[in-house]
Amino acid sequence: MTQLSNTDHPQAMPGLQAELSEPIDTMYLTFPVGTELYGVSITVVTEIVGLQRIMSVPDVPHYIKGVINLRGKVIPLMDVRLRFGIPEKEYDDRTVVIVLQVNDAPVGLIVDGVNEVLDIPDDHIDRAHSFSNSEGRSLVKGLGRMDERVAILLDVSRLVEDEEIDIVDIPAARA
Amino acid sequence: MAHTMTAKVEHGSDKAAGDVLLRVSSDKIGRLMDLVGELSLSVSETINAPELAHLDLVGFEAAAHRLSMIVSEVQDAASELRLVPVAEVFRRLKRMVRELQRETGKDIRLEILGEDTAIDKLVADRLYDPLLHVVRNAADHGLEPPEEREAAGKSRTGTLTLSATQTGSEVRIQIIDDGRGLNRRKILAKARQNGLFGPTEEPDDNTLWKAIFEPGFSTADTVTTLSGRGVGMDVLNTTMDALRGRIAVTSEEGRGTTVSLHIPVSLAFLDSVILRSGTHLFCVPIDDIVEITKPGTTDKLHISAGKGAEMLWLRDRFIPVCRLEQFFVGMRKEMPALTDMVSLIFETSNGPIAVPVDEVMDRQQVVMKPLEGALTRLRASWGFALLASGEVAMVLDCQRLVIGDPA
Repeated sequence: MTQLSNTDHPQAMPGLQAELSEPIDTMYLTFPVGTELYGVSITVVTEIVGLQRIMSVPDVPHYIKGVINLRGKVIPLMDVRLRFGIPEKEYDDRTVVIVLQVNDAPVGLIVDGVNEVLDIPDDHIDRAHSFSNSEGRSLVKGLGRMDERVAILLDVSRLVEDEEIDIVDIPAARA
Repeated sequence: MAHTMTAKVEHGSDKAAGDVLLRVSSDKIGRLMDLVGELSLSVSETINAPELAHLDLVGFEAAAHRLSMIVSEVQDAASELRLVPVAEVFRRLKRMVRELQRETGKDIRLEILGEDTAIDKLVADRLYDPLLHVVRNAADHGLEPPEEREAAGKSRTGTLTLSATQTGSEVRIQIIDDGRGLNRRKILAKARQNGLFGPTEEPDDNTLWKAIFEPGFSTADTVTTLSGRGVGMDVLNTTMDALRGRIAVTSEEGRGTTVSLHIPVSLAFLDSVILRSGTHLFCVPIDDIVEITKPGTTDKLHISAGKGAEMLWLRDRFIPVCRLEQFFVGMRKEMPALTDMVSLIFETSNGPIAVPVDEVMDRQQVVMKPLEGALTRLRASWGFALLASGEVAMVLDCQRLVIGDPA
């Protein structure tokens, strides 16, 4: 198990090391998904771990691949590709899990890999009005611009809400 | 992992230096419990590492065995930290009984047995409310007024007994009154009126008494401030579910009623059996299992007219089959024949059910984790169990498996 928390392996989060004295509210951990670059606020990131054996679990949305036992904590893992509705990719050496603490519960994001931590001040973020669906809900909080790059910043609490799954469709149990 | 929980709780009465009591926050104890759980998993992972499988390591084996023994003892010691005597809960009830005496004008003698019995602090904290309702009911409906008792040839003073005893990994708490007992006619009429039984159904006593724990059930003719609103017993039901406990009632007309609550000593560890169905691991409390059987071809029945329901013929009765693959969403599509699977028989309040699985793997003392976040939507589950192998299994609540439990 590779465990890249910022205290054990500071090099895993280069941005963080250089700017520890800075407020962390404007910092985002970025990770590529296909050709796109995404970011989550590091205030919710607890650690980054290598992929370990996933135990499948019933009754969860299809993008929850199962749970892992992370040092005695049971953590559900979300495949962000499935969550975003793009084709699955086979997991490889670069695949990692970003463990987040969202609404008092842990969740792990399975991502293709992680890039650096970027400091993106609020005035560099374009709020996303156009990504909302008809109910005004979007996984995207905004677009962060740093130099030539654009990071798609995620709204993590939306990410863990699972509005698409319609639980009413669950076939009634036949005892 | 051998794990026996002793019921000894240190008492403040001894003046010896070793018995000085310390106040420790429950967070600290929780953290210790988590760490001990992790420690035990890591040790087991190390000892069972596949790299060691075919090596001849005499010295290692001995050391590994000793290590496992120590870890198991540390686990016992850690779980004992959270144990408290039920005495405190009983003391609060004692005050309540004095108040009840004043309100009802009945003479009540309270007898307390086994107040040293130890129980998880988390359980003790949730036990008072449901117990209070049972005690109120006993005092209000169970015990008769002095004149009525005298007329029936009983002593004017009614006796209410609170008793706690430990049996194995369970604590049994009983509330015993020597009052008039439950009225079968009245309760059956009310139960039929509430649609719990058909108009001609004659349930046996034990089944019928359980009806008094259904929500909105009260046979009291008048609603008093004490009881009779039919909400109290429902609190009992809900709490017992959350604590993985069971309720049993016995009653004899004219002699009194006994309500017994069976509760696991600790919520953190669970004596259970590990099951595999396809790629999924499940875990069930060992006390829920009545029997494990591998049915032959003549023992099963498929009912196409009943949406393909299946029954198992066992010991002269048909037992409905509950397929985990049909109950849960996202499990495998194809289901092996019953004859190729092992069936577990669970006793539920709706009668026995048979749950077929591919494999019964192991009996283990597991560490329990509650459902959080995205996992709270799991139906018919108590939580997750951390297995000695480092794997995670979902703990099944057989009761909710049978009633369907719409999410």
